[in-house]
Amino acid sequence: MLRNVINWIFAVSLLMGLLMIAMMLAETAPNSAGLPHPEHPGMQVGDDGIARLDSIGIFAFLFQSLLLVLVVCLSLLGVSKPRRSPRLFALMGGSLVFMLFVWWQMYSGHQAFLATGETGYFMGFPTATAWQVYGTWLGAIPLVLIYSLGFRKYIYTEEDEAAFTRLLKETRTATESAESSS
Amino acid sequence: MEAFRQEIIVGAVVVYMAFCVLTGLWAMKRTQSSSDFFIAGRGLGPIVVALALFSSTLSGFGFVGGPGLVYSIGVSSFWMVVISSTGYAMGFFLVAKRIRMIAELRDCLSLPDVVAARYNSEAVRFLIAITIVLGVMGYLATQILAMAVVMQAILSGTTMFAGIGLVTCVFISSAVLIFYCVTGGIIASVYTDVVQGAIMMIAGTLILFTATSVFDGGMQEATSIILADDGEAMMPFGAAGIMASLGWFFVFGLGLAGQPHLITKMMMNKNMADNRTILPMSLFGYVMAALLWISIGVVMRAAVVDGVIPPLNQPDDAASIFLSVFANPLLAGIVFAGLFAAIMSTSDAFLNIGTAAIIHDIPKAVRGHSLNNELFWARVVTVILALVAASFALYSHFQDATLVALLGAFGWGTFAASIFPVVAVGLNWRGATVAGAVTAISAALAINFFVQLAGIALPHGISGPLVAFVTSMILFIGVSMLTRKPDLPSDIDQVLNL
Repeated sequence: MLRNVINWIFAVSLLMGLLMIAMMLAETAPNSAGLPHPEHPGMQVGDDGIARLDSIGIFAFLFQSLLLVLVVCLSLLGVSKPRRSPRLFALMGGSLVFMLFVWWQMYSGHQAFLATGETGYFMGFPTATAWQVYGTWLGAIPLVLIYSLGFRKYIYTEEDEAAFTRLLKETRTATESAESSS
Repeated sequence: MEAFRQEIIVGAVVVYMAFCVLTGLWAMKRTQSSSDFFIAGRGLGPIVVALALFSSTLSGFGFVGGPGLVYSIGVSSFWMVVISSTGYAMGFFLVAKRIRMIAELRDCLSLPDVVAARYNSEAVRFLIAITIVLGVMGYLATQILAMAVVMQAILSGTTMFAGIGLVTCVFISSAVLIFYCVTGGIIASVYTDVVQGAIMMIAGTLILFTATSVFDGGMQEATSIILADDGEAMMPFGAAGIMASLGWFFVFGLGLAGQPHLITKMMMNKNMADNRTILPMSLFGYVMAALLWISIGVVMRAAVVDGVIPPLNQPDDAASIFLSVFANPLLAGIVFAGLFAAIMSTSDAFLNIGTAAIIHDIPKAVRGHSLNNELFWARVVTVILALVAASFALYSHFQDATLVALLGAFGWGTFAASIFPVVAVGLNWRGATVAGAVTAISAALAINFFVQLAGIALPHGISGPLVAFVTSMILFIGVSMLTRKPDLPSDIDQVLNL
């Protein structure tokens, strides 16, 4: 049963749903979704970061980790079963580890800032935010590479193309003969 | 040159609009059938599809609402941008191949056509078509409003049009949009998208350089100013908080593969193997153009906090005020043309899929066949749809000053939650059933509209679209597992094997 990707997708979606319910039931800080800026109308502030992560931080961390698992499972679902080779599983697994690493760097970097109030900078942004801006974007690039470079191996092989051309021909012939007989 | 700033900007926009009108006239000669009108006869090359795909993704929401959101809630809104690589990857892994195959096999003109073929169900076709019409109304209205707001900002700076009203601007901008969409259909849309995409990439890149030069210390000085004012606003989850941010990752990332105006473009390429190059090209284009979203937003928030400029009347003014205060007039002209390009490229896509739903899919689901003389009705309904959306935009604006950006997010969220499971998962899983699809779409629509219309604020910044999306995923798979596995038509069964 666990060999079937859709079961994984279902299980992960269910867990995410449960986490969301847990967060909705958790204690809410007044600034959990931001507060109006005290001086500038139209702006919001996050204010005390520790207070608003206090009751849901771990749930939110798990939620995002599961979301990354879901992304990889869905990518696997998009590859037809016969092409899901051990090598593809390894590549997808590597992509997942990379995305989880980026997520951990971002989350722990934010925690470190909350604890110390200090941060380094990387390419214009505070370190944790740099992991978000550059890391999150780069995190899915392995998936893009698997798709583009592995296109003829995993997505649309020469055999797939031949089979589809054959199917198209059969369908058109059947349609034409049905039209001529009617 | 500074003395002619407004004239240069107006000139750039007029040239751009004239180009759109001429493209419409050119495409009219090539539009001979409803297939040409809706899917360009499935004959587009990879560069055209890639540019059309990314320029339709980044709409007025990105160019007007995006910087406004950064100004308002800080880094939270970055999540809508940085998920682009995940979103495009999902779209191509899950949708691009099979939607193109079914479209060619069954001669489909629209997304509901593909869905009806996949599920062998007119009920699913009807629900998807209704979802599209509802989402299109909200989304198209947002785009038209954004276009009019930008136009008013430009024209009111000139002596001749100083007192121009928003209604007049809605009229002018809609007229150009309607003209090229009616005359040239999707052919005009995709070829204007190519130029629109190029303008957006150039605009995004140039704006990044301008934005980094506003403060002597570049982007780092700007982010330091925001951090000193409110640490959370410049940290990864911004002012809106962790669940609002992660919700956007979910809804905007996975949800990209559920946007009908985008995945319909995946039906239009001539050669299926082109998908391998379309994916990286689209992603590259999007990233270049989206630089504008982040850089303008950060610099404008920092400039207000630092007292360089007075606070904005409303967050959505961020882009236009940045251009008028910090940008060279020539650059401002290019970027304003880029703004119109972003808005129009999305609007034309919405007009196209909305029209297809009304004249092709809903009649087919209800009466068993689409309207006679589809091409004629396609043109008529395009005009009506644009006029209704423009009226809706004005009503929304004068009755309720909600941010343009949030209206756009509601449209995206509705599509993501309703369409993603049914299309993106359903095209890759034989076990998906009609009952699963109907339940998922209905639940997603009900939750989205209920939360939005009742004005319910969920705790911790959890959004209605996120709840709707997770629920529809669970219901789609769960109900499909509980109902009898469908007997698929032979050709569809073979496509799902490939």
